[in-house]
Amino acid sequence: MNSIKGEVGEHLLSNMASRLCLVVDDSAVVRRIARKLLTGMGLEIVEAEDGRDALEKCLQRMPDVVLLDWNMPVMDGLEFLISLRQCEGGNAPNVIFCTTETDVEHIRSAMEAGADQYLMKPFDTESLRTAFAGIVYRQ
Amino acid sequence: MSMSLDGVVEAGFLADRAMTTMQQLGVPASPANFTIWFEYHAGLIPNLQRTIDVIISNNAGFSEDRLKDLYTTFFSPAKEAQAVRATSLLALKTLRDIVAVANLAGADALDASVGAHRFGDALVDLASGDMGASLGKLIELIEDLVQRSKTMAGRSEFVSLRMRASADRIEALEHDLENAIRDAAIDGLTGVANRKSFDSAIRRMAGDAMNSGDDLALLMIDIDDFKRVNDTWGHPVGDSVIRHLAKTVQQTVRGEDHVARYGGEEFVVILPRTCGRAAVAVAENIRKSLARDPVVLVLTPHMTPITVSIGVACYEPGDSLASWIGRTDAALYQAKREGRNRVELNQG
Repeated sequence: MNSIKGEVGEHLLSNMASRLCLVVDDSAVVRRIARKLLTGMGLEIVEAEDGRDALEKCLQRMPDVVLLDWNMPVMDGLEFLISLRQCEGGNAPNVIFCTTETDVEHIRSAMEAGADQYLMKPFDTESLRTAFAGIVYRQ
Repeated sequence: MSMSLDGVVEAGFLADRAMTTMQQLGVPASPANFTIWFEYHAGLIPNLQRTIDVIISNNAGFSEDRLKDLYTTFFSPAKEAQAVRATSLLALKTLRDIVAVANLAGADALDASVGAHRFGDALVDLASGDMGASLGKLIELIEDLVQRSKTMAGRSEFVSLRMRASADRIEALEHDLENAIRDAAIDGLTGVANRKSFDSAIRRMAGDAMNSGDDLALLMIDIDDFKRVNDTWGHPVGDSVIRHLAKTVQQTVRGEDHVARYGGEEFVVILPRTCGRAAVAVAENIRKSLARDPVVLVLTPHMTPITVSIGVACYEPGDSLASWIGRTDAALYQAKREGRNRVELNQG
């Protein structure tokens, strides 16, 4: 119950090398920055431009972590997350929402749909690390 | 006995933790807030706990409206649910009235009294006891009546009057709420946004700039030698100088730019889709219009003209907001060092 401290393993960060992270965002700028910062943290990166594109990438190779935008054309982040969790093996990836939506209702529905973390934009190295440090790898 | 004692001790422990956490986070100790933090520590509502953890880990802050949202989302029935419940109660009450009228005056009076033609047949059956039927059929009929009364409830003049009254009340409440939110976001002395409002605006605007890839600039404006103004002419004059600067800045920038009082004699402006030389030009406009405008001189004829120094820096997506603000501050101090009454651009 000491969730207020967010004390869940910073050591997981050191264990992240060669983990596959799928970055889903319709903004090329966001994908570029996320790739830069996450590569620096030792992750391997795959990119997708919308939810449907992301689902296809997941079916090709299931990532360990998904960094997920909310508002996207074709299929938004929440729809993607719900579909992903219904896929075979789709319960395994950690999903970190990464969005400009900051209200309680968005956070609640993200968590209800099976998100692990919620990162508010704009993000930087520090807040990205905090979000990744807060996840516990699923089985 | 011991179980209930444990329960009391546990509740006291949770209450203690709730109070401590509220203090740490600067959350006002209202009953609604206490409910939120008590349940947070009790951990019986996992999504409440996770939502709060998200807000904490993102440093998003617990503003009054966010606390209100937390309470509404997790503890009070949603607006919609409330509306449905109110309508159902209204429908049931209407139904009871109709049955009472039917009992008193007979089914014939019904149409005239409530103007509900569609009710006619079913109620005639019910009131005349002509059902000759099983309990199941009676329930079916009542359900049907509730359905019909819901449809009718919207039409009856009495009901619509009451609806209008509560709509007015809701509107008044929303108006109060808007005012409260606005007051909490506005600087009392100058009428521009306050620091709290700036903190959420810069986050929102940088988030949008990160998504769109558009430019975003920040100006930090500081009155030169303000301490001397206060010391020589007194605080009321100091206050009018601050108000005058706020007015000048607001008249110089565009409507979409966000002007805020950052502290004492310091102002900030966030400029969307602007950077580099364009941002410096905006800063120069502010500096020059202040030099041109004689209002301050009329106020105290012997006072040296008021000037400002301005620091400018552009947002780099992926950079932290703290570092962006820090770069702007550094540019401001460079402007001060190089003689004041000037604009400096941070070179990244």
